Amino acid sequence: MWKNFCSLLKKDFQIMVDGKFFLISLGSLILYTLFINFGYIRFVNDRLYNVYLYDPCGAFEQADKLIHPVESMEELNAALSTDTNGVGIDASLGVPEIILYVGKEKVDHHRADYALSLLQPGGKYTARITGTNTKELKQRKEMCCELLFIEIVAVGFLGIASVLFKEKQMGVIRVHGVLPLEMSLFLLSKMTIFLLSDLIFAALMAVLNIGPWVTAGILPAVLLQTAILSLLMALTGLGCAMLLNDFRQFSLAYLVIAFFVSVPVFFSANTSVKMAWIDWHPFYQIYMGLKNACFGTPVINPAYYIRCVCGIIFLFLIVQAAFRREMGKEG
Amino acid sequence: MIEVKDLTFSYGKDKQVLHGLNFTVGDGEIFGFLGPNGSGKSTTQKILTGILKGHGGCATLFGQDISRVHTQDFFQRIGVLFEFPYLYANLSAIDNLKYFSSFYPAKRLRDIGEILEKLEFKMDFSKKPVSSYSKGMRQRVSMARSLINNPELLFLDEPTSGLDPSGAVLFRRIIEEERKKGTTVFLTTHNMLDADLLCDRVAFITNGTIAALDTPKRLKEQNSSHLVLIEYLYQGIRKEKEIETANLEGGIPFPHDEIISIHSREPSLEDMFIQYTGRGLC
Repeated sequence: MWKNFCSLLKKDFQIMVDGKFFLISLGSLILYTLFINFGYIRFVNDRLYNVYLYDPCGAFEQADKLIHPVESMEELNAALSTDTNGVGIDASLGVPEIILYVGKEKVDHHRADYALSLLQPGGKYTARITGTNTKELKQRKEMCCELLFIEIVAVGFLGIASVLFKEKQMGVIRVHGVLPLEMSLFLLSKMTIFLLSDLIFAALMAVLNIGPWVTAGILPAVLLQTAILSLLMALTGLGCAMLLNDFRQFSLAYLVIAFFVSVPVFFSANTSVKMAWIDWHPFYQIYMGLKNACFGTPVINPAYYIRCVCGIIFLFLIVQAAFRREMGKEG
Repeated sequence: MIEVKDLTFSYGKDKQVLHGLNFTVGDGEIFGFLGPNGSGKSTTQKILTGILKGHGGCATLFGQDISRVHTQDFFQRIGVLFEFPYLYANLSAIDNLKYFSSFYPAKRLRDIGEILEKLEFKMDFSKKPVSSYSKGMRQRVSMARSLINNPELLFLDEPTSGLDPSGAVLFRRIIEEERKKGTTVFLTTHNMLDADLLCDRVAFITNGTIAALDTPKRLKEQNSSHLVLIEYLYQGIRKEKEIETANLEGGIPFPHDEIISIHSREPSLEDMFIQYTGRGLC
């Protein structure tokens, strides 16, 4: 069995090399690293929304530098009419009054609180700092986690499906049905090779962007979450490639799945908008698991891991059934 | 070697493709399974090779029921050539064969170079990727793959498809050689020439039922009109006449100056197929 598994691994590795999968992964790694080190860290500042202050009495002279002072109410209104995400503060009566275009209630509160916090920097709004993360390290960890999630969900998922589509088009899947080979090995070899590839990618991402010493402390937890995500996405990719007839159909399904997996997750995790149902989104849990692992607080709840293992087994059974169906196809 | 009783199969609830097939294939026999596209040939082969599950009736292979026979040991003993040459296009012929042979125990394996040579494969292509091969060359590599493990039972689906006439002759010779070594061959085809030249017995399958099963010779004889067509010259005019062979015992029974040719009018296997099934092979 081990010999058969090694043969399958070798063949899958060859297909991935020929399909330039590793080259694309390496390209992604370089691009993400350049972005984090020379883009995100350098140029992203704390400015969430533009805040415009009309303060003719000079009541808030200690306001944060991020605030844009305006000279008149007309100027304030003009600024808010062009920048609808911006927040205006009218302090003409000595008391700050918030002016903004109404959006979602929670977001509006967040915008108002943010604007008010800038009026008294270093004051009573300063939180007590816990943990050892510096501001830069926090940014690095956050972005590293997000890009790792995108890489596995979108790029890896597409990669595994394209490998299987190649084999499907060549018809060689059917030959495996008449070989002295345990059929599940055919799927396991693909999952293994993608898992290894994702784990190496995750480790390199962490080392290059978070730093080797910090990574050493969080790596086991990060790799565990990466492994869970990688297996789930690999099985989803394999299932789609088995069940869908051609790459065009797959591309459409890919867009839907990638959108479904990533958009609500990022929206809920990185903005003040939180959907009521997001806790039921399986990938939100995994994303948060990955993020917590990056920040050194790994998930320890056994129920989470039981759910993940059940999900992996469930998907594996579906893919195996689809695999048998593909081999027995008419014609 | 193979025994099939009342074999049925449906794709889904409504599409029954096999309606109770009955046949046996003896050890070392070349058994032809002939039928047009969609008649149930490939489905039968897929059931026998364990690719399709959920059949009705019963079938035994190597003396064991097929529901229990599809073990790794079984797959080591069979070879399957599919209708299309399914190969890894990015790998060379040698790499494909090395890969597929890696699943068999070493004691069963034939030498890759030797088998390719026997199939008259152009060896200068052996290290080039399969994507650069002609259809005939791919078919040769596929045939090599199905023979690589010295199979005791060989399933061949349209083996000469995509081959030029000399390639087809070569394949028929190789199949015959395999049989001489004791290999049983289950040949699925709609090529009547292959069936006629190779098979010990043939079954005509149409719409999932066997319409006739016998040796090609007997099938033709049973339906022969025993007529001969005589072409001759008489008083300077070229003429043709069809007469019963029994009437030839006393010589040519009509006046003639010169006999140009005499042809027997026995039916071909294709004629027989059309007669039994009521449809042509396409």
